[in-house]
Parts: sequence; C-alpha cells; structure tokens
Amino acid sequence: MAVQQLPDTLINQIAAGEVVERPASVVKELVENAIDAGAKRVEIATAGGGKSLIRVSDDGSGMSPEDLALAVRRHCTSKLGGGLNDIRTLGFRGEALPSIGSVAKLKIVSREPGAESGYEVRVDGGAGGEPRPAPANPGTMVEVRDLFFATPARLKFMKGERAESGAITEVIRRMAIAFPHVRFVLSGPDRMTTEFSTAARPIDRISQVLGREFADNAIEIEAVREDVQLSGHVGVPTYNRANSLNQYAFVNGRPVQDKQIMSALRAAYSDRIPRGRFPVAVLMIELDPALVDVNVHPAKADVRFRDPGLVRGLIIGAIRQALEREGDRASTSGTTGMLSALRPQGAAPAYRPANVSYRPPANWSQEASPYRPQNTEVPFGFAEPVQPGFIDAEIPSARAEDIPPQTAAPQASHPLGAARAQVHENYIVSQTQDGLVIVDQHAAHERLVFEKLKGAMSGGRLPSQMLLLPEIVDLPEEDCDRLAEKAADFEQLGLGIERFGPGAIAVRETPALLGEVDVPSLVRDLADEIAEWGDAAGLRDRLESVASTMACHGSVRSGRLLKPEEMNALLRQMEATPGSGQCNHGRPTYITLSLADIERLFARR
Amino acid sequence: MKITIERAALQRALTAAGRVIESRNTLPILANVLLRSETGTLSIHATDLDIEAVAKVACEGEDGSACVDAKLLTGIVAKAGGSEITLELVNGSVIIKSGRSKFKLGTLPIEDFPQLSDATFDAEFDMDIAAAFAPVRFAISNEEARYYLKGVFFHAKDGKFAAVATDGHRLAESTGEIDAEFAGVIVPRKLCEMLPAGNVSIAVSSTRIRLTTAALVLTSKLIDGTYPDYIRVIPTSNDKIVTVDKAAMTAAADRVSTIATERGAAVKLSIAPGQIAFSKAADGNTADDEIAAEYTGEPVDIGFNSKYLHEMFAVLPSGPIDIHVNDGMSPALVTSPAVEGWRGVLMPVRVS
Ligand SMILES: Nc1ncnc2c1ncn2[C@@H]1O[C@H](COP(=O)(O)OP(=O)(O)O)[C@@H](O)[C@H]1O
Ligand SMILES: [Mg+2]
Repeated sequence: MAVQQLPDTLINQIAAGEVVERPASVVKELVENAIDAGAKRVEIATAGGGKSLIRVSDDGSGMSPEDLALAVRRHCTSKLGGGLNDIRTLGFRGEALPSIGSVAKLKIVSREPGAESGYEVRVDGGAGGEPRPAPANPGTMVEVRDLFFATPARLKFMKGERAESGAITEVIRRMAIAFPHVRFVLSGPDRMTTEFSTAARPIDRISQVLGREFADNAIEIEAVREDVQLSGHVGVPTYNRANSLNQYAFVNGRPVQDKQIMSALRAAYSDRIPRGRFPVAVLMIELDPALVDVNVHPAKADVRFRDPGLVRGLIIGAIRQALEREGDRASTSGTTGMLSALRPQGAAPAYRPANVSYRPPANWSQEASPYRPQNTEVPFGFAEPVQPGFIDAEIPSARAEDIPPQTAAPQASHPLGAARAQVHENYIVSQTQDGLVIVDQHAAHERLVFEKLKGAMSGGRLPSQMLLLPEIVDLPEEDCDRLAEKAADFEQLGLGIERFGPGAIAVRETPALLGEVDVPSLVRDLADEIAEWGDAAGLRDRLESVASTMACHGSVRSGRLLKPEEMNALLRQMEATPGSGQCNHGRPTYITLSLADIERLFARR
Repeated sequence: MKITIERAALQRALTAAGRVIESRNTLPILANVLLRSETGTLSIHATDLDIEAVAKVACEGEDGSACVDAKLLTGIVAKAGGSEITLELVNGSVIIKSGRSKFKLGTLPIEDFPQLSDATFDAEFDMDIAAAFAPVRFAISNEEARYYLKGVFFHAKDGKFAAVATDGHRLAESTGEIDAEFAGVIVPRKLCEMLPAGNVSIAVSSTRIRLTTAALVLTSKLIDGTYPDYIRVIPTSNDKIVTVDKAAMTAAADRVSTIATERGAAVKLSIAPGQIAFSKAADGNTADDEIAAEYTGEPVDIGFNSKYLHEMFAVLPSGPIDIHVNDGMSPALVTSPAVEGWRGVLMPVRVS
C-alpha cells in the first residue's frame, strides 16, 4: 500500500490512544479544561464507571459558537499564546476534545456568561462538529457517552466498572487538592456522591480529601531555593501507610506522578520510616514554567525539570528540616512523645541534673489547659503550645526486687530464663542458667499473637468480642468499598464490619484474641493492605498477611510496663511457640548473651 | 523558715501528697515538694502537672517556704529517730534535724514550682467518692487512642449522680443520691486510683475537680473529651434472668479457662432451667463444667471473655448475682440484689 495522508478521524483515534487511555483520563482532560476556563464550580457525573457516561459541567468562561466549532478540531487551542516555554494552563496540546470525539459520542453545550444564548456541538466517532443554538446555562457542559464504542479493541482492555470509577475518584481527589478554591461534586449511579466544598486554605481541602487525621498528623513545609518554591504538608513519620497511594505531587498546580519527586520524598524519610511503609505527603512545587517541561507525554503527568538536582535537594532538605523541627515529638511515641512535649520548643531532650532549676511550660499557670492527649503513635499538638497531660509516662520499668522469689530462680527447664527487669519499657532482661536474654517485648508478643491467629484460623471462625459502641472509622470511599467487599472474609477472622455511609465503616466486633485494640488504625492498615493487592487477591490467600497486620495491633506495645508475672508468662509462651525467635518482620525477638560472652567483654577470658 | 513538726504526722502528709509524684521525672522540679509554713500550718505541695496535691500538717515556728526533693525528704522523715522534726531554711539549703541526726538538702527556687491556677467551680457537695467509683474502675479503658474512655464519667442530675466506666467491651455504672447538679466530667484514671476514703468535699467545674479532706486537697484536670452516650447501650428489656452464686460462677469460669493461655479467652455459657453449663475449647483441648442456677426461661447460649466476667464479679459482694440476657448476640446486664444503684453490662463474645 502506498504511503498516504491519514484521514482526520484516524489521526484523532491514534492520538486518543495516548490521550484518553481510560475513562479517568477523559475526566482528567475535561476537568482540566473547566479549570483552565476559570471555573469555580465543577460538577462531574459518571455512569458505568465512566464507560457509558461522563458529564462535566462548569461555570467557567464558556465558548462562542466559533470557538466551539474549533475546539473539537485537531490542534486547536486557546492556550499556547506564550509558546511551549510559558505554559500556565493545564491544557496546551489542543487534542483532548478531538481525540475524545473520535472514539466516543461527544456533546458540548456552552454559553459565554454575557451571551444571549448557548450553542451545542456534537461529534460521534469523529463525525459531525457543526454548532447550533441550544439552551444552556453560562459555562460549559461536556458529555461523553459510550466511550471507545468506535475503537472496540480498546474497549476490551477496560477494567471492571468499580476499578474505572475508583480511578475517576482518584483523578478528582488530585484535582481537588490542587485547586482548593474550586468546588467539586462527583456523583452518579455508579458511586456515592462526593463533594469538596470550597476550602479557604489548602490544608482545609487536604483534610476533606485525605481525612482530618492527616491534617492532625501533618507538618507544614515551606521552602524556596533559587526560583523554585516548595510548599505542602507531610505526615509525621509515625503516620505512615502500607502503600504509596497517599503521596500527592503538583507542579505549578498540575497533578503529576513523577518518579523523581517520589524518590526524593522516599529519601527524605529514609531512616525514619520502616521499610515497606510509606509516608503520606502533599507536595506543591511552583517554578517558572520555562524551567520545567510538561510536554513529555500526552497525558501530561510526567514532567522534566531543567535542574532536577535542585528540586530533589529542595524536597529532601525541606522535609528533613521540618521533621527535625517537629519530628522530635512527632516521631517518638507515647511516653517519650509526652516527655518532649513537656519541654519548651527546641530544648534538647537531654538528661538534666537534679539541681538545675527548670521552669515548666508557661501555660501551666494559665486558665484551664485541659487534658487531651492524642493517639500514642501520634505527636502532641504541633502548632499549639506544648501541653501537659496525663500519661503513664513516668512509670519505672519493673525492677528485680518486684519479682516474687519463687519465680526468680532460673531453671534449666526454662531456656529463656527468669525475668529480672524490664528496661526502657520495651526490653525484658532475663537471667538464664548460663547467661542473659534480652527480649523485645513488642516483637515477641506480636509473633505469639500471629501464631495464635494462624492456628485459630485453620479451625473455623475466630471468636469475636462484640462492641458496646460500634466504632465508626472514617475512610476514603474507595477504601470503604474495598473493605466492605471483603466483609464476609473479615467476619471469619472475628472482625465484624459494615458500611456506614459513603465515607465510613462501622466496626461491631473485633477478634477476641486482640483484646482492646485501636480499631481505627487497625481498619486503616487493613484497607491499605487490600489496596496493595489489587482486585484479584482473595482475603483467604492473604490470611497470613492479614493475621500479621492484626497481630501487630493486638500486641503489647513497646512502652508498656509489664508486671513480673506478665514478663515471665511471655517468656514461657515464647518457649512453647515454635518460630517465636523471629518477629513477623523477620527481626529477632530476643538475643542471648552467654556468661562466657560477658566475661569476654570484661576481658576475664 | 524554721519549724518543728510531729514526725508521724509529717510522714503521713508527705506520703499522701507524694502519691501524685511520678517516679521518674524529666522536670526535676516535679520530683520536689513545695513546703510552705504559714501561721501554724505546713502545707506540702506536690504535682505532676495534671494533679496537684496539698497536704496540711500542724507546725510551730517561723513562716517560710522551700522546695526540696520529695523522695529524700520522705526517706529522711521515715527513718528519723526522734518524735519531732525541725526544718530550717539556711542559705538556700534545708536543714533537717531529728533527735541527734542532721541532714542538709539542696533546694530549687520556689518560683519554679508549678502551681495550678485558681479555678471557679460550678458545683460543690460532699460524698464518698471512693466508694462510688470503686465498683466501676475496673472497666476504665487502657486504649490510648480512646483517651476519653481513660477515666470515670461522672455526672449529677435531679438529685442523682452516676459514675460510669467502659472500655467498649464492658461497662459499669454506679449511681446514688447527691445534693448537687453538674454536667458530665471525665475523671482521669490516676485520680480515680488515689481517691481519699470516706466522705470528702468535692468541687467540680468543666475543667477541674477538687477533693478536700481535713488533711489533703487534691485538684485535678479533667479529661477533655466527649463521653459516649452510654445509656443507650444499657439493655432494659432483657427478660431472661438467671441468678447465680458469685463464688460458684467465678470458680467454674476460672476452671474451664485453665486450658487457654491467651487473652480474651472466651467461655461459653449454656443457660438452661436450674443450671449453667460452661464449656471452652482451645488448641484442641476442651473443658466442661456445670453449676446450679436459678432459671426458668428458655435455654440460651452466650459467650463471655472470662477475664471480664471475673473482673466484674469481683466488685460485687458474695451471694447471688443476677444476669439478664436477651440472646447470645446482645449485651447482658448484671445486677446484684445486695448493691443498689450498681449495674454492669457485658458484651458477649461470639463463639462458634
Ligand atoms: N470547559 C471549557 N470551557 C471553555 N473553553 C473550553 C472548555 N473546554 C475546552 N475549551 C476550549 O477548547 C479548546 C480545546 O480544548 P482541548 O482539546 O482540551 O485542548 P487544550 O485544553 O489543550 O487547549 C481549549 O483550548 C479551550 O479554548
Ligand atoms: Mg484540554
């Protein structure tokens, strides 16, 4: 066949292959257009996961009939006035609307705010495109029906309705964070309605999207290096998640998924977050459009910085600095968190000799500074003045003299020995016949609970403790979907959950084995975990990892004072449990020091 | 300051105030007591920044004040030979003399000693708060995340008070007459564990509670949180009432629990006319037991965490206890004919 110029429709369909990969990319393009048009309100409706219908309405500038005719034609844009070096809009390629029009049934109704009447244009699989008068509200309404009907090959590659509608939600969440002043409403028969009302400050919108909890656990960052400006909010290291879904980056307001930025984020937390856990972050980078190339891929989600090293350094530096500033309180849990909260800002957490006079926080003598601790794993009030509170902060670790004599003698039948003391609220020091054992109480207990759960699971439904007051856990809708879908499996494990409105899960029963647990954080970790697996995996195949997540929550936290009997009971249980020498993460649960080792240390041998 | 005090009285006062002091402190001042003598009374102040204790003891001598290490002073007073003790502030040190012993302790500046601000209280009344709180304390939550459950919820209305504790798995409420009215407050666990016995004068505001006896004043901050609407979860129409003997019931539950080591060991109760059968299965082992019980209704099976059962029964006097159940899936109500104004709620454990 001879070389020939392709017809427009085919060209557009080829372009569509990249621009509109799936329904979520259509939504992204349309919402970008609405925002570029200065909209303050954007309403999105979908049906069938966006495959049967996507409708985006805005109250933006609208289009004249002439613009309308051009807008659906290839390479027509109103946005490249400053050339590719000065892109200040989300769109610039002029190919979204024609691409969509070539693979779906597209209808645009638009009216300029001052105009007498509105106009409508329709494109069906590339055909049509003549505007004619039509009733319309000021602004623009774009309707896309039967996406990919014109390219059946692509249609086959679409995921299930749920997955596609979830991806659309994700697009809107990103846009919502980037544009706090714009009101977004996402609705449709395939989903529950999500509304992000106009937010005064970026953090307010972030709370709407990521939940109040993130806001409570976030540190604000703000830094400038040369002409690049970084702002945003990053979670304290202890507020970490099991996947990287909650990491958001924006360049000049454009949501991007950029490997360099994510890698810098990871580096900033590298020694503060355990491996396999991910920080939660919202990073906004602003710089001269000439210093960044957004024209890397038609989907516009990749960027290339003129000076990547500068951006990386800026991100790492700003986050580290923020964590250092706040992180001392933030990253330590419970006890130590409380202790440092009692210190004035900036004071080193060093030991103070008893005779040095020391002033308590100034707010002490003022009116009511009420008690309100937060979750142990969470820092104590960031921006607020430090606040004293109740906590078992000063309990000593148990001492040898507390141990009843009958249990004190190490016996040959007890390889892990007799507990002598608990030090640093997490380590049990025990004396064996020929040395010392140091046990990490949290790791050890976690392992025991894990083994118990695993054992019990093979024997049918696990006993569950019913709750007097159901716990309502607020979660993003997709997480609720995922959890609710697996509710029956969880019930087998003793966790009784049910949907509670669009953005919450009610927990009515918890596995009795876990005792009193922090239900919200257990549920959130489970949601993260399921999100990691994707659609395919069944809970049954993942029992072990679920058991391990649950075990972690049901375990004696480090930092809890143990009674001598409890310490000895833990040692005895460890002796009776195969595999208890390693925690679920593969770290040792105890170490031994033989008398010979000790003598060697003291050069007696 | 130069004062003489009866040794035994001083020791009592130091012990009473000293219970507030945490055993390890990063703020050295918090390991100290503030001694202040004024017109024949020595007041001893101790605080952990949340609770302030002021113990009073009669003394003779010159007024003055000083801040000294609480543990050292208590130790010295406990071991001193004489029946009287003299405390004297000389050049920034406190000289302690008793019999032929003499000690010199360093001091910290008294201005550094943290002092709770004066507060205005909304209600004042007298009651035996220790007795009212004792049978509910066991149900206080330990879960850091639900800080508002880490205390006893205390409120008074229409001549009745209620003290409530719950950890979400069980609940206990104790009620009684009171000559006051105040909106609910949450009294932190630590204070609940050091309530002075007998009748005390109490003052409450929305942020503070103050307990006053002749020898001791305890002022504590309250937990700032919203207590759940607990009345909702107390069952009122459980019509299957089984009456058991406390000792027999606890013993049987303990016996069958022997085979389980883990927490949350559930025991299954099969309630039938005239008896309750206990059963438990764990790790391939089983245990069964039976006790006599007064019951005439339909048979019903219900599982409980044996530890919860044990702890709840422990606060009740020996003799008969009534368990009101509906079915194996809804909360059970526990009452004792001997204890008016007390009720407990136990959430069942679902066992297969
Ligand atoms: N919602 C809208 N409101 C006003 N104008 C719009 C809207 N959507 C599209 N347009 C106009 O149509 C043009 C083409 O849109 P599009 O194909 O997405 O390309 P691009 O956004 O890259 O310019 C835009 O440049 C803009 O002028
Ligand atoms: Mg566009």
